[in-house]
Amino acid sequence: MSAQFWPCFKAILKKDLKIELRSKETLATVSLFGVVLTFLFAFGFMGDPATNLAVAPGVLWAALLFTGSLSVGRTFAREQENSAFTALALSPAPRSAILAAKVLVNIAVMLGVMLVITPLLAILMHIDLSTNLFALMSLITLSTVGFALVATPLAVMAVGARFPEVLLPMVVFPLVTPVMICGVRGSAALLGTSADLDYLAWTQMILAFDMMIGGGAFFLFDWMVSE
Amino acid sequence: MNHKDLESQSNASTKIPILWIILGALGMFLAHYLVFIYAPMETTMRAAQRIFYFHLPSAWLCYIGFIMCAGWSLRYLMTQNPKHDALALASAEVGLTFGVIVLTTGPLWARAAWGVWWKWEPRLTTMAILFLIFTCYWVIRSFGGDNAGVRRFGAVLAVLGAPNIFFVHVAVTRWRGDHPNNIGLEPEMRVVLYSCLLIFIILFSLLVRLRYRVHTEERTVSALSRRLSRIGG
Repeated sequence: MSAQFWPCFKAILKKDLKIELRSKETLATVSLFGVVLTFLFAFGFMGDPATNLAVAPGVLWAALLFTGSLSVGRTFAREQENSAFTALALSPAPRSAILAAKVLVNIAVMLGVMLVITPLLAILMHIDLSTNLFALMSLITLSTVGFALVATPLAVMAVGARFPEVLLPMVVFPLVTPVMICGVRGSAALLGTSADLDYLAWTQMILAFDMMIGGGAFFLFDWMVSE
Repeated sequence: MNHKDLESQSNASTKIPILWIILGALGMFLAHYLVFIYAPMETTMRAAQRIFYFHLPSAWLCYIGFIMCAGWSLRYLMTQNPKHDALALASAEVGLTFGVIVLTTGPLWARAAWGVWWKWEPRLTTMAILFLIFTCYWVIRSFGGDNAGVRRFGAVLAVLGAPNIFFVHVAVTRWRGDHPNNIGLEPEMRVVLYSCLLIFIILFSLLVRLRYRVHTEERTVSALSRRLSRIGG
């Protein structure tokens, strides 16, 4: 790791977070989309208490994937204006620093959105999340990290493509299937609707996925942005 | 790319492997004879079991095609050599073709064995997800246009997608699992299975070669037409 990594990483992270906190455009629009989505899911799946408990994990993780793909799609949109991305790529900043900063910004935005969606879903579907709150939060956080690690580097590639808004979800969703399965089964175990495995085993699997895919993404990122 | 490069590249790939084509065609006849006439009837599954002789080799070769695609994609990312990219695309296409065979014969077999067309079962699900990832790869490569960005995007997708499948498999196995494993095979059945595998390998390598040839020719043609338009314009 070069000596420039930390200064560049901090600079890009600070810039992106500052822009986001001032304009709040991604956080606000994607959260609102998440709220609409949660209402739609609630209308679609509301049933007796047992049914609600059974469908809630699927609804939550589907919402995570949909809102996640929207917010990650915005990652480099701002940089496309005035060809700022070309400037960033041409600058001596290490590529891994750019990617790491972008991944972290995406994680922050996605977690902010989940902070809105999760309680809303619990209220709308009459589910008590308070008993296993910490475990559920760690499961959501690790899933978000996994999603951001897969989707962010691919978002770079989608910048110049012809139909980025379709391309990104189409490519990312199959790739994050393990996160979806582990997240849904893990939270089902937490809610007590599934007895097949302890939630800890599922959490560990997401962690392993995060580490492998994250390593791969950082390894590949240098070659991805070569122009 | 200068003229000599173009010429040597097209010469290397224009030879049509006649011998392999004849071998593959004869092999396919032999495979059908072996599967439908030589192989003994299985007692519980009856005729439906014969699907297995095409299903299993196709599944293996489908995986091999995708692994080859990931390997060549990684090399392409490292070297930026268009030949590696053409090889990756050719392997993915042929892998997908075999994937279609797997995903057609699989449900037919499942219907006879389990009474349903589809079961949420590790190997089925893994294959389906892998097939989806490489279909995306193929769609991007087919409709994304032919530029360096699209090629790199595809390569990254292939490289990330192939190892990812390990996680899908483990996840689904923990979720639910029941695929016929270690089926006891009669000696004659073994002969049929391995002959089919060999014949399918011939078919596979032939198809990869031919698709590779098409892609390099396409690239040569577009390079030539670019040069022509430069001279003309």
